[in-house]
Amino acid sequence: MDNQETPPDITAFFASAIHDMKNSLCVLINFLEGYHTGLDENLKSEVAPMLYEVKRVNNNLVQMLAIYKVGNEFYPFEMTENAIDEFVSEIVMQNQTLLDNLGITLELDYDKDLTWYFDRELVSGVISHALNNAMRYTHDKLRLLITNEDDYLVIRVEDNGTGYSAGMLETGNAVSKGVDFASGSTGLGLFFTSMVAKLHKHRGKTGSMTLENGGKFGGGCFVLRLP
Amino acid sequence: MFTSDSIFENRRFLIVDDFQGMRAMLREMLKAFGSRTISVAANAKEAIAYLEQSDKYDAVLCDYNIGPGKNGQQVLEEAKYRHLIGPATAWVIVTAEKTSDMVIGAAEYMPDDYIIKPINEAALRSRLEKVITKKAELYDIQKAIFAKNFNAALSLCDKAMGPGKANNEILRIKSNLLLDIGRYDKAKELFEKILSVRDVPWAKTGLAKVAFHMGEMETAQRLLKEVINESRSYMEAHDWLAKTYHQRGDLEEAQRILVRCTETSPNSMNRQKTLGEIAHKRGDLDVAEKAFRKTIKLGENSILNTPVAHLGLAKICTEKDNPSEALQLLKSVHKEFDDKAASLHAKVMEGVVYQKTGDHVNARKAAEELAAIIQEDPNLASTDVALEAAGFLFKAGDKEAAQSMLETVVKNNHDDDALIDQVKEIFDQAGMENESRQMIDTSRREVVETNNKGVTLAKEGQLDEAIQWLRNAKAMLPNNKQILLNFTHAAILAMQKNGRNDNLMSEAKECLNRVGALDPLEKRRIQYLGMLEAIPSR
Repeated sequence: MDNQETPPDITAFFASAIHDMKNSLCVLINFLEGYHTGLDENLKSEVAPMLYEVKRVNNNLVQMLAIYKVGNEFYPFEMTENAIDEFVSEIVMQNQTLLDNLGITLELDYDKDLTWYFDRELVSGVISHALNNAMRYTHDKLRLLITNEDDYLVIRVEDNGTGYSAGMLETGNAVSKGVDFASGSTGLGLFFTSMVAKLHKHRGKTGSMTLENGGKFGGGCFVLRLP
Repeated sequence: MFTSDSIFENRRFLIVDDFQGMRAMLREMLKAFGSRTISVAANAKEAIAYLEQSDKYDAVLCDYNIGPGKNGQQVLEEAKYRHLIGPATAWVIVTAEKTSDMVIGAAEYMPDDYIIKPINEAALRSRLEKVITKKAELYDIQKAIFAKNFNAALSLCDKAMGPGKANNEILRIKSNLLLDIGRYDKAKELFEKILSVRDVPWAKTGLAKVAFHMGEMETAQRLLKEVINESRSYMEAHDWLAKTYHQRGDLEEAQRILVRCTETSPNSMNRQKTLGEIAHKRGDLDVAEKAFRKTIKLGENSILNTPVAHLGLAKICTEKDNPSEALQLLKSVHKEFDDKAASLHAKVMEGVVYQKTGDHVNARKAAEELAAIIQEDPNLASTDVALEAAGFLFKAGDKEAAQSMLETVVKNNHDDDALIDQVKEIFDQAGMENESRQMIDTSRREVVETNNKGVTLAKEGQLDEAIQWLRNAKAMLPNNKQILLNFTHAAILAMQKNGRNDNLMSEAKECLNRVGALDPLEKRRIQYLGMLEAIPSR
């Protein structure tokens, strides 16, 4: 080995490594969802936790990538008008199998004619993450509520679990207030979410994220507000 | 509405992915949706072979990274450019991540949708249904645009928009169309309407484009700076900002902006090309060389490749005393591009290189070949190239060819005093001060008389005669802006009087296109475009 050699530019490998990993995840998810693999019903609930883990890996990958690209100013941030109905049905489709296999019901509540401006990829990343998180802590019910409140699009993910711990509520609200820290696995998701919220601006108003307890089921509530 | 099954059943699909696992998975999914005709390609070459040999596909699912050679975007560009797909084909780029390099292409080469991996069966099905349905809705609009039936396309756009729907796509098509056909007033109205609801970068950039075309550079710059402040990664705004500085002659600032852009987003062929041209104009040879080399590299796999970077880099190599690479680049212009004007330019530069290296035999040979090309089509060379060619031909001793080249330049630009001065200087350097003056004066007078006669005929109401007269004049001098504009004006008067005439309409629009290429900021072009559009269809 030539020790004089400069270390390789790791970013050069990012694109190809991510390309590979995403392909692998794609194949894994579709295997575990079991459309064509003929998994029987018993097996489906057994592989459900694996599907959950694979989705977690994907969410982490999406978040790291987005943070990296936004930080270097080459994320193609794009505010487009989205039909909420379409947006929600796509999120549901990406998650339905996992919800079914985990025995969780997802209640939907939104106005079918609502449209809103946001970056589809980023917001869908945030909501997937929130849903995935809620699946872990809920008892058996989730609710996705989307409303227009005072010219903000408010997206709530509520569960019927025991709610966020005091520490988690504090961390969540500190991050959303701009305290800059990231610790452990919770840090990444929160950092990503608050970054996405802050990228969404409209006439002096900025998006925000909060964690609460309560909601319809009295469990944890994740709330994203977009101007 | 059709049922979901029939959407897939009777449509032809092409899957392009370099990863066997993905190909197999996508094919299984499509089969499960009910499709019966599915082709599968593992790389760009195979994909293009499939696109070439069969009837047009209804939908193409193309991965972005498909190994060495073309990427998914470049396959799409080739398919559209060569009409391997029609306005009905839905093109979906499947990708691991969306990057700004990916989404900067020209609007006409944008895919219909991006699907970010991973995607599962249910979501894929719904996306494909949506994109195929949307494509069917847009088909009539695209068909009308293809047939240059712009007014019909515009009213179809209006009809297709509705409440509760995301209208991005149609708004973009409509606004691009308005910009393309020069209806800047209407485009402005549309962008302002969108912006009254939301500060969307593309609409504000659109407003800046309108200002640019109207020659309001300060407004354009203010708007673009606002866009950049709000969304730094919106590359199109940077490119247009550079363009406004370029237009105002501030090449230094234009270069600074483009250098900054190419640092974060280096894979746009057009941006690198523009950077090369601007840096070269400024004499910043190192930046220009780097940008041209990158342009050539990016162009290798692109159907939209142009010889500009080859010519530019060849010139830099000549200036940097590297004649062998210059000659090699110039040879590749003849070989790789079917572009007569570029070949002519390359021939001129070859001659200059041979002169510089003292290879008089080859220099003379180049001069002879050049004279033959010019004789065949004296209007092939752009003004800059023509001046360069004349200089070379004088040095090579072919006075006659040089003189006729310059005569063409004078006749095509008879009212451009600064340019005529340049022509005089070239004559002076060749020691032809006295002979040239008479030629220049005669040429200018001839063109003025021709023009005046056309205008007078039109004024007297002899419109058919005016049109015929100016039509002959523009056949002789296809790059003379005044003749092109006067022809258009006569055509407008005739159609206002006798009603719309499709052939005359497209001839007039073609003239205005050429005026736009010669001088993008010519005010009469915009005025005449508006008058043409206002002529009612029968």
